[in-house]
Amino acid sequence: MLRLYGGMIVLALAGPVAAQQRLGEAQASRAPEQVYAKVCGYCHGRNVGPILLGRHLPAETVKYVARHGQNGMPAFRPTEVTPAELDALAAWIAAAPARKEEHGQ
Amino acid sequence: MSGFSIDRRGLLGTGLGASLAAGLGTGASAANPAPLAPGRTRADFAGAMKAFRGVVGAEWVFGDEDAVAPWSKTYIPDPAHQYKPVGAVCPQSVEEVQEIVRIANTYKQPLWTVSTGKNMGYGMTAPATPGQVVLDLKRMNRILEVDADLGTCLLEPGVTYQQLKDYLEEHKIPLWIDVPTVGPIASPVGNTLDRGVGYTPYGEHFMFQCGMEVCLPDGRLMRTGMGSIKGSTAWQAFKWGYGPYLDGLFTQSNFGIVTKMGLWLMPRPPVYKPFMVRHANMEDVPKIIEAMRPLRVSNLVANCNLMMSASYQLAMFKRRNEIVPDGAPLDEASLKKAASANGLGMWNTYFALYGTEQTVAGVEPIIRATLTASGGEVLTAAEMEGNPWFHHHQTLMQGGLNLDEVGLLRWRGAGGGLAWFAPVAAARGVEAERQTALAKEIVEKHGFDYTAAYAIGWRDLHHIIALLFDKADPAQEQKADACYRELVTRFGAQGWASYRTGVNSMDLVAQQYGEVNRDFNRTLKRAIDPNGILSPGKSGIHT
Repeated sequence: MLRLYGGMIVLALAGPVAAQQRLGEAQASRAPEQVYAKVCGYCHGRNVGPILLGRHLPAETVKYVARHGQNGMPAFRPTEVTPAELDALAAWIAAAPARKEEHGQ
Repeated sequence: MSGFSIDRRGLLGTGLGASLAAGLGTGASAANPAPLAPGRTRADFAGAMKAFRGVVGAEWVFGDEDAVAPWSKTYIPDPAHQYKPVGAVCPQSVEEVQEIVRIANTYKQPLWTVSTGKNMGYGMTAPATPGQVVLDLKRMNRILEVDADLGTCLLEPGVTYQQLKDYLEEHKIPLWIDVPTVGPIASPVGNTLDRGVGYTPYGEHFMFQCGMEVCLPDGRLMRTGMGSIKGSTAWQAFKWGYGPYLDGLFTQSNFGIVTKMGLWLMPRPPVYKPFMVRHANMEDVPKIIEAMRPLRVSNLVANCNLMMSASYQLAMFKRRNEIVPDGAPLDEASLKKAASANGLGMWNTYFALYGTEQTVAGVEPIIRATLTASGGEVLTAAEMEGNPWFHHHQTLMQGGLNLDEVGLLRWRGAGGGLAWFAPVAAARGVEAERQTALAKEIVEKHGFDYTAAYAIGWRDLHHIIALLFDKADPAQEQKADACYRELVTRFGAQGWASYRTGVNSMDLVAQQYGEVNRDFNRTLKRAIDPNGILSPGKSGIHT
C-alpha cells in the first residue's frame, strides 16, 4: 500500500513489519520502520541521540550522517544498512510524524 | 537548516551545511588519501581491487576516499590520523572469502577483517597499520543452526546479537543470548573472537564458544574441534576435538579468518531476579570485591557482575556540565550529590539470581547477608523500578538489547571520543583499591575523569576504564593519546596488563606480554601467512 507523506511516496507495510530471517539465509531487505526500530531507535528518541522523527530532516542529510557518523554517532556501512534500505529509511524519516513516546535529554 | 531546532547535543543542530563539505569531523579529505601498505604500488592496489570486483561485484568494493569513509570512523585518540583503511571489500559467502584471500596473496594486499565492526572504543573497522583493505564480513549473516535441546547455535560473523535474538523469539526457542553493551549492532562471533565479556552466567564469551570454521591465509578451510570429522554431530557440543586445542589461536589474532562459529546459549531460567548493591563511598572498592569474590568463586552469584562507578553511570545519561561547570574538576562532593539525586551510590554493583523459585529463595538470604555486611544496600526491582540505570542492567543481565552506553560519547563535548583501557587483576580488594587510585591519578593529571567499572569475573577483575574526551578538540585528542599511553605503561609496571586493546595501542600492549610470547606469535605468523596479508598488526602480531 502506498501512502503520501509530505510529497514523498513511501511504502508502508500492512500488519507487523518483522520479516523473519530463515535458517541458512542471509537477512532479507528490511522496511524503513524495521531498520529504525532495530538500529536508529535504540539511541534516537531514547535519551542517547537527538529526536529524528517529525523534524522533516532532509533525506540527503540523514543519509550523509548515517554513513559518516557525526560526532558521537557511529558510522553505518552499506553492509549494515544497504544503499536501498538507506534510501527508503531517509525518505521515511524525512516524512515521518513525531512520536509522543520518544524523548531526548 | 533554519528549520532545525537546535539540539543541545549539537549532533544535528549546528552548521550541518558547512560540515557536509568538510567531512563532519571524520578526518576524510580528498587532499589526504590514505597511504598504501609498505612496498605496494598504486598498480598493485588497483590490480587487487579490480580482482576483488570480479569476485563480489563492483558495488561491494570501495576504494575512493568518500566511499571508504564509513570504515574510517573511530572514537579512539588518533592525533596523527594514521588508522585509516585504504579500501573495503564485502563478500557474502565463504567461497568469496577464499577467493579474496587468494587474490590478496597474489597482490600482497593486506586485509583487515571485521565482523560487524562495532567494537566501539577499540577502533571499530579501522586497521592497526596503513594500507589495509577492510574485509567486511557483515553481509555473511546467516544463522546456520540452532539446536533448542542442546542450547547451541552456529553463526556466520555478520550476524548481530539482534538478529540472533529476533530469530530465537520469533521461533519461540527458550534460549538466551549474552550481549556486550552494544548488542543490537555487534556480532556474537566478532565479540567472542575479541574475548569480550557480557552480563549473564554465559558472560565470559570465549568460554561458551564451541567449534570454528577458519579460512587459512592460503585460502584453505579448516574446521576445529569435531568439525573436521565427517558425519560428526558434536561440532557444537564438544569443544576440544583431538590434539592441540586450536580455537584460541584464532582469537585476538591474525592467523585465519573465522567464517563460522559455534556458541552455547543459556536456557531461559524459570526465575530471573536482578539486584543492585549501592555503596556510598569511593573508598568502598575493596569491601565490595572482598564480599563478592566468595560468591563468585562458589558460583552462588553466577553472572559476570558489573560494579559501576557513579561517574560511569551518570555519563551514560547525563552531560558533564550538568554536574560540574566546564573546566572544573569532577570533585567527589558534586559527584555524590548527582549520584544521590539519581538513586545511585558511588559504586553500584549489579548481579542477578537465575534458577527456580526454590533455588533463588534459598540463595538470596546468604547473598543479602554477605553484601549487607560489606556496607551496601541490597536493592531489587521493588525499590528501583523506573530507575533508568537499574533498568539498563536489568535488561543486560537477561541478554536484553539496548545502546544506552553510547550515551558516554557525549559526556564531554560533542566530538565523540572514547578509548577503553581494560587492565586485568585477580579478584582481590587490595588490587582493585590500588588500581582505582592509580587510574584516578593518571586520568586526572591529564584533565580527564575516572569513569570506570569493574567486571567481576569468576576469579578475575576486568577494570573497564572509559577514557572519554572530545574528539572535535585536537588538543584534547592529543592529551587523550598521551593519557592512554601513560595508563598502559604505568599499569604494566605494576603487573597489570590489558585483556584487550584498541588499534591505537596493540604494539604497546604486546610488548608488555614479553619478547618470548611475541616471538612465538611472529614465528607462527611467518609460517602460516608468509605474505603477511591477514590483519597485520592485530594484537601486535606482524610477519
